[in-house]
Amino acid sequence: MKKKNRITTKATLRPSGALKSYISGKTEITVEAGHTVRETLSALNIPPEVVALVVVNPRTTGVNEEQQSKDYVIQEGDVVRVLAVIGGG
Amino acid sequence: MNGYGGQILHVNLTTGKITKEPTPPDVVRDFIGGRGFGAYFLFKEVPTNADPLGPANKLIISSGPFSGLMIPGAGKCDFTTKSPLTGGYASASMGGHFTAEIKYAGLDSIILEGISPRPVYLFIDDDKVELRDAADLWGKGTIVVEKHFKEKLGEEFQVAVIGPGGENGVSYACINHDFGRQAGRGGVGTVMGVKKVKAVVVHGTKSIPVADMEGYRKAGMALYKACKDAEGLKDWTRYGTTIVTSWCDEVGALPTRNFSAGSFEGGKGLYGQTMREKIVITDKGCFGCPSPCGKYSRSKKYNIHVEGPEYETIGLMGSNLGIDDIEAVAQANLLCDDLGIDTISTGNAIGWAMECYEKGILTKKDTDGLELKFGNVEATFKLIEKIARREGFGALLAEGVKRASKKIGKGSEKFAIQVKGMEQSAYATHNATAMLLAYMTCDVGAHHNRSWAITYDLQVGRDKVVPEKVARVIWLQNFRPMFDVLGGCRLQWVELGIDRDLYCPALEAITGVQRSWEDLEKVGARIWNLTRMYWGRENEGFGRQWDMPSPRFYEEAPTTGATKGQITKFEDVHKLLDMYYEQRGWTSEGIPTAATLEQLGLAELVA
Repeated sequence: MKKKNRITTKATLRPSGALKSYISGKTEITVEAGHTVRETLSALNIPPEVVALVVVNPRTTGVNEEQQSKDYVIQEGDVVRVLAVIGGG
Repeated sequence: MNGYGGQILHVNLTTGKITKEPTPPDVVRDFIGGRGFGAYFLFKEVPTNADPLGPANKLIISSGPFSGLMIPGAGKCDFTTKSPLTGGYASASMGGHFTAEIKYAGLDSIILEGISPRPVYLFIDDDKVELRDAADLWGKGTIVVEKHFKEKLGEEFQVAVIGPGGENGVSYACINHDFGRQAGRGGVGTVMGVKKVKAVVVHGTKSIPVADMEGYRKAGMALYKACKDAEGLKDWTRYGTTIVTSWCDEVGALPTRNFSAGSFEGGKGLYGQTMREKIVITDKGCFGCPSPCGKYSRSKKYNIHVEGPEYETIGLMGSNLGIDDIEAVAQANLLCDDLGIDTISTGNAIGWAMECYEKGILTKKDTDGLELKFGNVEATFKLIEKIARREGFGALLAEGVKRASKKIGKGSEKFAIQVKGMEQSAYATHNATAMLLAYMTCDVGAHHNRSWAITYDLQVGRDKVVPEKVARVIWLQNFRPMFDVLGGCRLQWVELGIDRDLYCPALEAITGVQRSWEDLEKVGARIWNLTRMYWGRENEGFGRQWDMPSPRFYEEAPTTGATKGQITKFEDVHKLLDMYYEQRGWTSEGIPTAATLEQLGLAELVA
């Protein structure tokens, strides 16, 4: 496997299910670190209010995952999963 | 008949006569099963103007073609009756394993009619069907009774049981199963109670005939693979429906202090993450479920184990009562389950009473000394008991908020949060017009599961009143309940977002009948219109006024939270109905036209 450059200001956003339609059906997209999840979603034209769950898996701490608010500032190397409640309850 | 048990069981509780008839092929063709069977048999077999609590009313318990087969979530069972809460159509869906055993016993529906002279339980073991004495079980809670049957008859028997709430005639008593699953809404447990049926226990060993075994295997596997591959599987399994609690709080949909607001300052204490960390032990699924949304929880504070709470209970028993402690909600959940009363209606009724108390409409003299302030946990627990036993002030709340507010008056009708007499489930709709319309026009009263349109509001503009929103509500109302017709669970589509077209090959392989979603939605529309005609048949003067929501959503804007200062305009409420009726093919009073009924193949049935 090609060695990745660990010094980066980039992070990864992974929208689940119906949210993928906002990024042309892709499963993930590279985003700039240093912005909140809310700002990042808005920049991608994903309405932040349809996102119900934000889970951040910081690369530096391995597999531990943490649910975060949309005000969480994305750190470099983070993998941020966002889940919508399009279908409902 | 492929995909079906093949027989309808009729149990006359008055005479004790038990008969079976072949499942009618034309009813299968037009209504498929589950909720469809319930609607058909209710309309056809229960006489006009039957007293919901009298012998002429029936409790219709139905499986669907998916029930008991290896299709994700094929453990859903429908309970239909004339509602003692609303006086109209009631249909409640229950998960678990009960419906699979109905099919394995060679049955599609069980229809309970008449009134037994003494407490009984219905025993079904394949072809052995008996009414047995239940005098020693009467008065007991649902949990101990289910445990009793499991120990006495064996784990393989599945049990649907009522608690004291159903026995005592609480208008919104539920039916419990699997120690935490409910047919919750509309008083289906009340009807079972008045019929003196403590429980139905069922076990079967028969095979379900399938038209194309290899096709069924392939289609079933494709559905399971889609669930397994879904990105959201891990999160939905971890949190279940509580995934939405924090989101509802954020967008102003979390019912707070009797729906006076949609955001709760103590919300964090109730969020899914808080619950998972504080009380959840493990996950629990229904028959054939790949994404178990049920949570087994333990509260150290109250020294209890309970299945739940899920989102609806958290909303109504938590924020709606000003309670911010998930452990207190778990305890309230357990009390309601064991006593056999619907957590949604109960939380709503207590919320209404608390608002009455805080406004001085009710005092301690009225409430048997209870200080019914929002946030009073101990008073909530006591009131749940009083409601279930119809004791003192509890007897008033046991009527439901519509009748209770009519009795109390003094403006309390305006904050009785209900439509058609059914208390609203856990989405505040001050500024979410599609969701508001969904509640207004729901076929059983203010319930969310037919049409959950609130994210559509967020996507297209919350206060917009446009034909597209109305069309979306109607589409959801025709489509989502079809899972209840098929005997499956909608949550794999709802939560995991699996392709709904994967279900069609499975249905064809099982039944041998090809049906597209277009065909299925037409069946959905047929059932929707039939139940609308039922409301009209049973209620003189039925019309537009019955579809009006609580004035709270068009008169009183919240003063706090995400929807602060936001409200739906009164004229928009009527505009929504105008567009809805037109798109449905109904009159301006909301009655299906002759042409609509003809188009849906209902003209003869409703004539």
